[in-house]
Formats: sequence, C-alpha cells, structure tokens
Amino acid sequence: MKLKTVSLIVVFCLILVVNCSFSLAEESSKPKELTIAALAGMETDPLKAIIPLWEEQYGIKINLILYPYNSLYEKIVTTMVAGVSTYDVILIDDPWMPKLGKEGWLLPLDKELGYEKEDDIMPVSYDLGTWPPPYGPIPPGEENKEKELLALPLIGNLEFFMFRSDLIPEEPITWDDVYNIGSKFYDPKNGSFGYVIRGAAGNPVISEFYPMLVSFGGRIFDENWNVALNSPESVAALEMLLKLKTISPSGVEAYDAAERSREVAAGRAVQALIWPGEASQMIENPEVSQVVGKMKYIKIPKGLGKNGRHASLMGNWLLAIPKTAPNPEWAFKFILWVTSSDIQKIYAKNGGVPFRVSTLSDPELIKTYPFYPAMLDSLKIPPDWRPRTEEWFAVENILGTYVNAALSGQVSSQEAIEKAAKEIEEHMKEKGYL
Amino acid sequence: MKTRYDRAIKIFLLLIPTSFLLLVVIYPLIYTVVMAFRNESSHFVGLYNFARAFKDPQFFASVKSTLVYAVTAISIEFFLGMGLAFYVTNRIHNEVLKYIVYLSFIVPLVTPQIASGIIFRLLYIPNYGAINRILHLLGFELEPGWLTNPSLAVASAVSVDVWQWLPFVFLVFYAGFQSVPLDILEAAKVDGASTWMIFRKMQLPFMKPLILLVLIFRISDSLRVFDHVMVLTQGGPGRATEFLSIYLYKIAFKFWDLNYAAAISLFILVFMSALSLFLSKNLKAEVD
Repeated sequence: MKLKTVSLIVVFCLILVVNCSFSLAEESSKPKELTIAALAGMETDPLKAIIPLWEEQYGIKINLILYPYNSLYEKIVTTMVAGVSTYDVILIDDPWMPKLGKEGWLLPLDKELGYEKEDDIMPVSYDLGTWPPPYGPIPPGEENKEKELLALPLIGNLEFFMFRSDLIPEEPITWDDVYNIGSKFYDPKNGSFGYVIRGAAGNPVISEFYPMLVSFGGRIFDENWNVALNSPESVAALEMLLKLKTISPSGVEAYDAAERSREVAAGRAVQALIWPGEASQMIENPEVSQVVGKMKYIKIPKGLGKNGRHASLMGNWLLAIPKTAPNPEWAFKFILWVTSSDIQKIYAKNGGVPFRVSTLSDPELIKTYPFYPAMLDSLKIPPDWRPRTEEWFAVENILGTYVNAALSGQVSSQEAIEKAAKEIEEHMKEKGYL
Repeated sequence: MKTRYDRAIKIFLLLIPTSFLLLVVIYPLIYTVVMAFRNESSHFVGLYNFARAFKDPQFFASVKSTLVYAVTAISIEFFLGMGLAFYVTNRIHNEVLKYIVYLSFIVPLVTPQIASGIIFRLLYIPNYGAINRILHLLGFELEPGWLTNPSLAVASAVSVDVWQWLPFVFLVFYAGFQSVPLDILEAAKVDGASTWMIFRKMQLPFMKPLILLVLIFRISDSLRVFDHVMVLTQGGPGRATEFLSIYLYKIAFKFWDLNYAAAISLFILVFMSALSLFLSKNLKAEVD
C-alpha cells in the first residue's frame, strides 16, 4: 500500500515536471513578434483590422511591413536570394508562385508542418498554392518534383460578371446574350451603354480578355508549352471583345478598373466583369454608387462554339512561410489562425475577400456582400489560373499590348492574335521552354 | 607631430564623402555594368545583351518614339518659352502683373510628375474627361480619343511635358533677358535698331549660355520621360507611347530580364553622357 502510494506520487511528480518543461519550452520558443511582408494598399486593410485579435489571443506582436506591388516581389526575391531570415510570413500574388516554388524557397505546409486539407476549402484554392502545379503545363525541370502545398489563400480574389437586374429580367448565359442584351441599352447620347470594357494596355485588358479567351475554348499554351494562342477560338474571343466595344463607352481602350466601376456605379453601363474589391468598395457602396441593390452577380458567361464554357480568372493573394523564417512554427500557427473559419468571418466583415465555402455561403455576410454566391459558383467551375510560369508577366505584357492595339483599331483581331502568338513563342524559346 | 595628426584627420574627413559617393553612385553603376555582361544565371556572356538590342525591333521603335516625343516637346517649350519671356520682358511693364505671371508659372514646376499625369488623365479620359465635356458643352459633337488614338496619345503626353516644363524654360530665359545691360539696349533703340535686330544681335548672344543650359536639362529630362506617361497611357494604345524608359521598365519589371535591361540602360547612359559632354563643352566655351 505504502509502495503504491509512493509510486503514485512519483508518477504524478514526473507528469508535473514533464508538463512544466513542455510549457516552459513552448513559452521560451514563443517569439515576441512575427514579421509579415505584405502588400501596401486597401487589400491589406482587413488583415490590419484582425491583427489585434491575434496579438490579444497569443501575446505575439505582428510586425506588418508593407510594400507596393513591385517592391514586395523584389524584397521577397532579394531576401530569399541572400538567404536572410527576415520574414516569418509573406503575402504573395499567385502568379509569383512559379518563381518561388521553382527556387524551393518556401516551406511545405503539408510535408514539413503537417497541414491537413479541409473540405471547407475548394480544391482549386489548394491547387493554386501547390507546386509543381497539379494540372496544366509544368515548367521545364520541375516535372519530377514532388507536389507540395506551399501556400494558403488569404485574399480569395476571382473575377465574375454583373448586370443590372432591375433593367434586365433574364440573366445572360453566353457572351452573345451579353451583346444582344447590351445593344438594347446602347444610347450614347443619353449616357447609356450596354457593356463596359477594362481595356488599358497590359494587365488591365488581360484581366478582361483572359476569362473570355478561356470561355471560348482558347488557351495560350498547350500541355507542353507550345503556344496554342493562334486558334479560331482565340480570334473569336477577341472578335467578341471588339463587338462588345461597339456597345461600350468610347475610349475604353484607356479604361482601368476605376473607370469601369465608375461607369457602372454611375448607372451608365448595365453589364461588366468585376472583381470582389471593386464590387464592395464601389458598386455596393452607397456613398459613391447609384446602383446599390440593383446589380445581380453571376459567373462569367459562356463562350460560343463547341468548346464554349463558363470561365473565371483567379487572382488570389497567398500566405507562405519562407524556409529562412525565424519562427516557422508560429508562422504556421498564424496562417492556420488567420485562415480558420471563425477568423475568416471577422476578416470578411472587415471587408476582406474570403475563400472558404462556409464564409461565402454565410447568409449574414451575403446581405452585405451580395456577390458571394457568384464567387462560390465561380469557384465550383473551377476558375482558371494564369499559366504557371515565371514568364507570365512577359506573356501578359505581350498579349496585353496586342489586345489593346486591336481595341484601338491599330491591328485586326486576326493580326493581333498572330503577332502576339509569334512574340510569345519567341520569348518562350529564349527562356528555354521550347 | 600636430601637422601629421591634422593631415590624418583631414584625410579621414575627406574619405567619408568619398566613400559615400562610391557607395551611392559608383557601386550601382558598377553593378549595372556587371549585370549587363552576365545572363540570369550570372554567367559571363560578353556583349550578348548589347547585341540583343541591335536585333530588337521594339528597342528601335521605342528609341524612335522617344526622339519624336523629345524633339516635339523641347521645340514647343523652347520657342514658346523664349517668346513668352521676350513678351513679358518687353511688353509687360506692370510689376504686379509680372509677379502674377511669375507665380503662376511656379505651380506646374512644383507639381510632382505623377500628380501631373493624374490631372491630365482626368482631363483627357473619354466620356467624363473635362476636355471632351467642354467640347460637348460648346456644341461640338466630336469626342477625340486623347488617350486612345495613337497620334493623339503621343500629343497628349507631350502636352503634359509642355505644361510642366514650359515654365522652367520661360523663367530661365526671362532671367536671361533681365541680364542684358539696359544701356546697350537703350543705345541701340536711339540708333534706330528694330526689336528683331535688338533681339538677334544683342539679347540672343547674352542668352547663349542659358540656351545651352536649358537644352542640357530638357534633353536629358525628355529622354527619361516615364512618370506621367505611365499614369496617362501605360505605354498604350498598343505601343504608341512606349517610350524608352517605359520599355526599359517593362523589360526589367514585367519580363524580369534584368541583364538586358542593364545593357539598355548603359546604352542610354553612354548616349546621354556623350550628349551632355558635347553640350557642356559648348556651354563652357560660351561662358569663357
């Protein structure tokens, strides 16, 4: 009996010592702060709003370092090249994934940190942060690498379609419907337009044209990086864009997102493509918009022809942990926390763009953000991503220049597609893809 | 002993600005030169990146469009600036009015180029841009594509340059006209010299150093044009306003071809240095 009591006391003491040492170890490894490199701009405001909750809950300060778009990429790349342990977490634009994945600079969240996928997150959201890409062409030299999850979304941006449901009773299914419906509203003398294009050279016009290209069954590359752009589908997609220009305000070749949203918010244009940020900050903002509650948001219409389908374009911002991160375990905890369903809801209430199915289908949030169902529908298509190559920005620039030239009447649609395809092919050859 | 100590202190103090200069000016330059001779894997490739420029039609297209831009903008600024300075010097005698002209010309000079770009984008943008609205209110049915028609887009970019830099040219020439001795001018007038003769034979020789100074500043600025064009057109429509600096930016930050961008920037540097040297030599000769 005596021996039993002594043994129990010893075991109890042992458990106590082990527990204490574990919590002491955890406490001692707990950093004072985590450093996050992120984008300067309104996209990061909702993140700033929820950071105090983390600091209160975990007692770890967040040092948020904000950079403009180009500087952020440059800082991340130079830090990685130098192997400096500066950032615990980095916020990256999804087209940067090929460069960061190829160089092996990011810590695999699944293999190294034990992340387990959730049903509440659509597979395409995981695919975006996976390297090498789970489908589509894979950059040379990357084919035999094991697929790893390197990043999780924070800003679930994707493109969808909107129209004035108070004026248009039936939603457009195809791009032809968009044109036919829009033609009825085209009355420039009275400031009424059937559609509005975001047509400025480069990235703006590609955000407009790329989903249209995919919806017509066109594509830029085949599975082996051969340039597949020069096809009847691509020309048909560009012809449709030029057709839509005839029912758009004049001068859309110079329009960026702000001008497009303004035309819709002012009640002048009745249909357009849209990103979540524009919808919440402009179209559904009663301070600047005359069409609050009058818009219906749907997935992007189908292209024509036998390959026609619905399409969307993803433009997520992802959270990743550099391999050189000073506190990778706590960085991972932060990512899990910020992407958890509870915090996603608070994040969304603060104007953040969520990506979780449960958040996008939350009835309370849908009242404020009526475009969530359209985002969820678009996620289910699934949306396309920009081809996974570090050469994407060059490709976008070449195609964006020619599509803009076609819009401004300098070249025909056939000529624009042919010239862009030729130039993209030359570039990809130079970079060793072909 | 003290002298040697003082000398050491002096050398040390002189080393501080020299090191700073080396770090801030010379290091980036050397780094650019090194990059221009390497490929993206940091292997030495000799003159390959420079040779690429000679085979790149877009490089020549952007050089051509930059020259068109620079020649147009500088010619307008030069002749208009000279004319205005001459007019204000000879025809406006009211000091308050002169002061108002002087003050109003300071405003564009102190406006950041990005801000100028935004102001003019709001003026030129189709549909709700102020210029087309004014045309509409005046009863004109036309809607010129200031930013969407290739030729008009170049003209629009030039107009921002003129708005911003005409005051600089005016102020320099105005100061130049003030420096011509009054007694010489009055003597010429008494002798019956015409205004044109006075300008050509007396005022212009005094202005020569200033003319060269204006040309050095304006040529180097015009060839580097970037900010306001990026805001106005982003190089479009198509490639109509893809001037050399914008092309260079795209090569570096869209194509991420930093080695080729380094080679192009060295071309620009050599060209600009040669031009500045030539103009400076002339300027020195004039001053001497």
